[in-house]
Amino acid sequence: MAKKPQQQPKKAPMRQRRRRKPTSEIGGLAPLVVVGLIGISMFKLAVAGLLLIGLLPTFVLGITGRGEHKNYKLQCVAFANIAGVLPFVRQVWDHPRELMQTVIDPLVVVIMFGSAAIGYALIYVGPMVAAVVLQSLAQERLKTLSQQRTTLVEAWGPEVLGAAPSGDEPDWANKTPKRPQ
Amino acid sequence: MSGESAPVPPGQSAFGERYVVMTASPLPEFSTAGGEAFKVNDQQEPGRELYALVHNPLVPLRNDVYRSIKGRPIPNMVNPVDRGLMSIDKNGRKQRLVTIFERPVGGPLMGPDGKVNPRVNTNRLRQHVVLSVLKALAALHKRGIFHRNLKPSNMYFATKDGDEVWIGECYSTPPGFRQPFALEALDLALADDTARGAGSMDSDFYQFGVALQCLYFGEQLWQGRKRDAMVMARINQGSYWALSGGRDIPGALGSLIKGMMADEPDERWGAEDVLDWFDGVGKPKRTSLKAWTMNRPTNFKGVAYVDRRLLADAFAREPREAASFLKKLDFPSWAQLSFRDEILTERLEAVIDVRPAEGFSGARADDYKMVSRVCMFLHPTGPVHFRGHSMFLDGMGSMIADAFARDDRDLLAVITDMMDQKFMSALTEICGPRDPGFAQRLQDFKRLFHHGTSKSLGRGMERVLYEMNPILPCISPRFDNVWIGSIKQLMNALDRLSASGGGRNILLDRHVAAYCNTHGPDLSRDFNKLAAAQNDPGRFASLSAEFFGLLQRRFKMGALPHLTEKLVDSLGPVVKGLKNKKRRETVQQQLDKIKKGGDITRLTSDVNMLQVQAEDAREFGQARNLIHRIERERARLNRKILPTDPEARLKGIKGSRTLAFVVMVLVGFLTMFPG
Repeated sequence: MAKKPQQQPKKAPMRQRRRRKPTSEIGGLAPLVVVGLIGISMFKLAVAGLLLIGLLPTFVLGITGRGEHKNYKLQCVAFANIAGVLPFVRQVWDHPRELMQTVIDPLVVVIMFGSAAIGYALIYVGPMVAAVVLQSLAQERLKTLSQQRTTLVEAWGPEVLGAAPSGDEPDWANKTPKRPQ
Repeated sequence: MSGESAPVPPGQSAFGERYVVMTASPLPEFSTAGGEAFKVNDQQEPGRELYALVHNPLVPLRNDVYRSIKGRPIPNMVNPVDRGLMSIDKNGRKQRLVTIFERPVGGPLMGPDGKVNPRVNTNRLRQHVVLSVLKALAALHKRGIFHRNLKPSNMYFATKDGDEVWIGECYSTPPGFRQPFALEALDLALADDTARGAGSMDSDFYQFGVALQCLYFGEQLWQGRKRDAMVMARINQGSYWALSGGRDIPGALGSLIKGMMADEPDERWGAEDVLDWFDGVGKPKRTSLKAWTMNRPTNFKGVAYVDRRLLADAFAREPREAASFLKKLDFPSWAQLSFRDEILTERLEAVIDVRPAEGFSGARADDYKMVSRVCMFLHPTGPVHFRGHSMFLDGMGSMIADAFARDDRDLLAVITDMMDQKFMSALTEICGPRDPGFAQRLQDFKRLFHHGTSKSLGRGMERVLYEMNPILPCISPRFDNVWIGSIKQLMNALDRLSASGGGRNILLDRHVAAYCNTHGPDLSRDFNKLAAAQNDPGRFASLSAEFFGLLQRRFKMGALPHLTEKLVDSLGPVVKGLKNKKRRETVQQQLDKIKKGGDITRLTSDVNMLQVQAEDAREFGQARNLIHRIERERARLNRKILPTDPEARLKGIKGSRTLAFVVMVLVGFLTMFPG
């Protein structure tokens, strides 16, 4: 029995083959944070410790985050989280021995993790606000477009809309056919 | 008045008040196929004897004859005095070309009814008539004009009591047009009576001979004679004996007439022979019948033909039977046996191309042409015989004019079929050595082949008609009341026609198109455009305006208010069709201004509807595209934007990130610089 020639897998088109892999959504933030932490730890280990603990929500999100706009979300939470951690960084920088006291202080923890929560909240609220703003902008644009349309119709007549102008219908269209009795 | 026929201009006469044509007093003895003669009163010289010939627009004139004679009159001939357009009131008012002629008052030598003038007798014929006519003919021939309208009824006593004789005019009809068969020299007579061509001096002397013979016997010798019987009699017995019916004319007059009626042109008496005859030294000439005799008779349709001219004529009258006869024939053998003195070369045999019938096939498309080639071989100096018609190529102009006058579409189709380069080349080759003038006559006809076979507007047989008869007026039915002799007259007539509400789509009239193309500048492209726009009234109206504007400018014509108004009105739907409201208003204002001025050229220079239409259409397309884009955008913007929409989501998250960043920077700044 003659064997059927095996079909070779089709090669992907050249353009497709050469396409680069999509870049990681986290982007350059994670390495920057790691490098920053290492750099800080070389001067003040306590500050690095504070950051490691304080920015925990950001690290968790960086590791577990999925879905679209992950990078932007991460940046948003990170910026908010950093804003919550920064006031205590100065304190620990000046008094490194107070690291433990600061870390176990519930108020400090609430402020640091709460700021991250605010970041999460911003991610939730942002699109809502954007929708409202975009809707109002669209209304403005609609007004301009309607004006343009009216000007064109005035200059060129209703024909420019693509519809037959009223009153120009052929005679047969206005006649009602008589039914055979 | 019919709205589709151009009205006659009011009270127009090219002669001013000088000549008054008395339509109630016709002069049938001066009427011809080309026009009707009437008495005329000369207001400036009341005693002057004149007559007016009101021309028939459907018969071409001999303009060269008029131009030659008008300045330098011919002795012993009815000479034209003047010509011009006049409004003639006979069977309705019509504008016609009228030629004023000198009028011989002695009456015709033979009336139109065949009655001989009582003053005609043998002595007068011999002593005065011959000399008078000879004087006229010699003067005409000296100018290269052949009369071709010599007949006893076209010769007049100059005065009531004198002996001087004038021959009638020969300018109102083409040469030999509608002449009786007997009055034409044999070769010319075989052609149809509308296509006998220019002829020669010999043919004039032949006509002169027949006229004298008729006057001598006191009867119209052609009356009651059938053509076919007469052809046979003239060829077999000679024209002199055939016409006289065996009666001889004794004495010197008889020899003169016999000499002038010799059937062989080489043997026919000319002016010098007639003068010799006067001097009494003329030698009688004999007519030989040898040249055209076949070595053995050929039986065709039960008749045995010995003369090849007769056989050619018989073939020409019955082309279908001739075709089947020739196809059954072994042509080379028949030709060798019938024309032993002639060598039928293989090349000539191939050119004549008589192919035997194949199987049961019926008539072939080429059969008529085959018969025509054989006829030309049999009678090389005779006319072209084709599909039952016989014509000389220089007589095609008058034949086509007559076909149009009678609306004979069949004949026009025959002529169109003849316009075949290959066929004509074959005929030239066949008759070449015997009739060297054929090729020259063909040259004039051949240049029109591409027009004749074309269906385009401004070409076709109408174009051939006007090209071959440049003097012929435009014979469109819309101008049957007026005489259109030039583009200027055409435009003026159209202006009047427009005033009466006619002239719609006038440029689609094939006659008008052909006439404009023949007499105007090169307008073929314009007519092609017009023909292409036939189904688009708007574009057609714009092109018509452009066309008339071009003519008005080229011919430097004055205002044509009615035509302009008509054209502007016809542009109404075009203006209405303009999409842009502002442009529509502007163009309408411009048109209204032009309408008052009567200058069609401004329709193209100021408005140029075609350009306006194109611009409008282009801008309308752009406006529609813009509207489509606006509608798409509106549809997009009209829907409700939700936070889950990708755009809102992206922009929201980005905004949140920016806010977080700003807060971070602010907190960092306050932390670093608390003071």
